[in-house]
Amino acid sequence: MILQVFRKTHEHIFERTYTAPIADVWQAWTQPELLRQWWGPEKTTIPECEVDLRVGGRLRIVMEAGAEMGRYAGTRWPLEGTFTHVDEPHRLVYEARSWTEGEEAATIDHVNEIVLSARGSHTVVNLRIHVTKIGSGVKARLAAYGMKWGYNAQLDKLDTLLSSPRKEA
Amino acid sequence: MHASTFAALGEPKRLEIVELLRRGPVSVGDIAGTLGIRQPQVSKHLKVLREAGVVEDEPVARRRIYHLVPSAFEELGDWVESFEALWERRLDSLGDLLTTMQATRSDAQTTPEEKEGSP
Repeated sequence: MILQVFRKTHEHIFERTYTAPIADVWQAWTQPELLRQWWGPEKTTIPECEVDLRVGGRLRIVMEAGAEMGRYAGTRWPLEGTFTHVDEPHRLVYEARSWTEGEEAATIDHVNEIVLSARGSHTVVNLRIHVTKIGSGVKARLAAYGMKWGYNAQLDKLDTLLSSPRKEA
Repeated sequence: MHASTFAALGEPKRLEIVELLRRGPVSVGDIAGTLGIRQPQVSKHLKVLREAGVVEDEPVARRRIYHLVPSAFEELGDWVESFEALWERRLDSLGDLLTTMQATRSDAQTTPEEKEGSP
C-alpha cells in the first residue's frame, strides 16, 4: 500500500476522449489564449501564459488565486518549463517546475507528456506526469500545485483546487 | 512535511525499512538483521525517517522500538488525491473549451444561412 502510494505519487496517468478534432486539442494545449481558458480552476486567473512552441522553447504559466479565495487571494503558482518534444499534433513533452511564489523550497519538478490520437471524430488524450523531484523544504506541500485547500467534494470547479483549511493546520 | 516525507521515502533502503515496519514495530537490531544492512546504516536511515515524521520510536527495555506514524501516509494519500483531482478538473475544463470551440465554429457557419432566412 505504501509502496503503491509512493509509486503513484511519482507517476500520474490520465486518459480522456474528447469529441473534437485533434487539431483543436493540440491548439488548446499549445496556444496561450486557449490554454489560459482551461488551465486554472474557478476562482483563479492566469495572469501570465507564455508558450514558445519549439524544442528548447520555454513554457510559463502563472496561476493566481482570485479575490474569492479569501486569505489566499493573490497567491501565485508559477509553472516554468522547457519543451523537449514538439511533434504537432501528436506529442508534446515538457520538463517543468511548479512552485508557490515565495515558497521556492516547495518546488516540484515534473515531466509532462501529452499524446494525442485521432479516433474518427474523437481525440484521445493521454497525459503522463512524472514527478521527478519534490523540493526539500519542509514546507513543500500541496501548495506547490495550488492545492493547499483540498476540496469539499461538490459541484463547482473551485472545490477541486481550493478549500480544506485543515491542510493549513 | 510532504517534501521531507517524499525525500525520506525516496531512498530504496528506507523504503524497505518502511515496508518492514508495516508488519509491526521493530527494533534497530531486527531491522538490520532482516534487511542485511549494518546497524549504523539503519540508524542513519531511521533518523531521516524520524525527522520526516514517518516513524517514531520508543524505548522498550533497553532497546528502541520503531513504528510507523500513520498520519504521514494519510497526508501522502491526500497529496496524490488533490493532485489528481486538480488534473481531472483541468481536463474537464479542456473538454468544455473544446466544445465551445466547435460550437463557435458551427455558429459561424450557420450564421449566413440564418441571415438569408431572416426577413
